[in-house]
Amino acid sequence: MQETDRRKFLGFAIGGVLVAAAGAITYPLYKYLAPRKREDARQKVVVAETDVPVGGAKFFELEGRTAVLVRKSGGALIALSAVCTHLGCVVQWQQDKEQFLCPCHGGQFTADGTVIAGPPPRPLEIIPFTVSNGSITVG
Amino acid sequence: MALFGKIYEWFEVRLGVKALVEKQLTGYLLPRNINFWYSMGSILLVILLVQVVTGILLLIYYVPDADKAFQSVNSIMNVVPYGWLFRLIHAIGSNMMVLFLLLHMLSVLFMGSYKSPRELNWLSGFILFNLVLAISLTGYLLPWSQLSFWATTVATNSIGAIPYAGDFLVEFLRGGKLVGPPTLGRFFAVHVALLPLAIAALIGLHLFLLERIGVSTPPFGLSDTKNRWQGNAFRYEAHPDGIPFFPNYLLQDLTSIALYFGLFFAVLSFAPTLFFTRDAFVTANPFQTPAHIKPEWYFLANYQTLKIFPSEFLGLLVQGIAMTLLAILPFLDRGSEKHPLKRPLFLVCASGGIALWIALAIWGHYS
Ligand code: HEM
Ligand code: FES
Repeated sequence: MQETDRRKFLGFAIGGVLVAAAGAITYPLYKYLAPRKREDARQKVVVAETDVPVGGAKFFELEGRTAVLVRKSGGALIALSAVCTHLGCVVQWQQDKEQFLCPCHGGQFTADGTVIAGPPPRPLEIIPFTVSNGSITVG
Repeated sequence: MALFGKIYEWFEVRLGVKALVEKQLTGYLLPRNINFWYSMGSILLVILLVQVVTGILLLIYYVPDADKAFQSVNSIMNVVPYGWLFRLIHAIGSNMMVLFLLLHMLSVLFMGSYKSPRELNWLSGFILFNLVLAISLTGYLLPWSQLSFWATTVATNSIGAIPYAGDFLVEFLRGGKLVGPPTLGRFFAVHVALLPLAIAALIGLHLFLLERIGVSTPPFGLSDTKNRWQGNAFRYEAHPDGIPFFPNYLLQDLTSIALYFGLFFAVLSFAPTLFFTRDAFVTANPFQTPAHIKPEWYFLANYQTLKIFPSEFLGLLVQGIAMTLLAILPFLDRGSEKHPLKRPLFLVCASGGIALWIALAIWGHYS
């Protein structure tokens, strides 16, 4: 009886130490490998209005993702996520057609981000922005 | 449990798990008087495993470019979460590796385990020792600190004393006339790819020999401590009345490994900068040699030897001779007695050699 109690106790003690050791390794290891917040990931981006001429597009990075500003021939400004909703490639601006083309699998979007052809299941995400004193603030 | 049994059965009928366990663990018998020193090899395997794992982790953030290396190590130490931990484990572990290699070597020396038929165990071990020294030396340059830079300059320079080929060898090793960015490139490749592969291969050979020849009988606690090898035919050295590896000796291995980790984490916690000098925290500057550049502790004796001889070539020659004698020791020492106290000549030479090595190292440290 005493023998088996002692065995059990020692078994639990050793098991406990091993579990603690495993935790003491796993936690720092996870922290070391976990992606870190990039200090340079910008929450807001300011673009000069002159950088987005009529019919033109300006690509930039916002919070670590790719975004785009376009000005339609009518003069209206739009800010969109440039990440294709199909499998995540970055869409290209086609100035002549005023459309976005995703080169990966031929997805096509209007300048407002609406899907017109190809596999993308959803429109491109719209990003809010404000304009003042000739500069556009996105995000 | 039934599922577990089925999985076990699936493997059993394919691999013969039970027979394997019997052969390698419970039926693997070791000499009854086996001692603590036979667990040094297991400690070395664990240290190596830790070095490999932490080395791979460091590769994630380390940049092997002379312009960025120091900064990347700095950021591992100060910015990456727990980067300091993995770097210190790797740096302190390399020193522990050398320390425990020395202990392992001393134990097989004093117990006469290198004697026939184990000449090849000794030789493969001796090569391993040199490879570990080489991997330590190449790793030392990677942080690209003042210490790295100038210690590597001094270490590679001594090869220049070899007659005729010296200058060529130094330049070839450095990838240029002086230590510089090309040196970092080659040392990096050697440190993270070439030497790990070579060391893994030699450990494979070392363990194969151990398995093939059988474990030696320690010369303690017996009346007859003579080598039983006859030399007329291959015979596996079995220990029919011995103790099983599992659970008996595995418990000793695990105890030794636990004690090792105790020592290791004590250094890590209470003396984390034991193996660093101030120059390790300053980025390499090829135009400014810092004062008092010393190699790591295990190279101090070599360093001092080079200094006491009037010519560098002589200093190098003496070391070459000493290393060669050590390498071929099993072929020189043919006596069958294994107990150290019954081998007076060996005991005098070995103790004298160790005392000389320590004295030279201390002298090198304070000179
Ligand atoms: C990475 C380095 C090394 C590793 C991982 C290693 C590993 C081992 C292991 C696991 C054993 C069996 C158990 C034991 O006696 O500890 C062993 C035995 C042995 N090692 Fe090493 N070793 C290394 C380096 C060396 C060196 C540097 C020498 C000597 C120059 C050496 C000489 C021997 C000898 C002669 C044996 C046979 C001992 C016997 O059968 O009693 N080893 N080694
Ligand atoms: S990723 Fe854009 S169409 Fe497939």
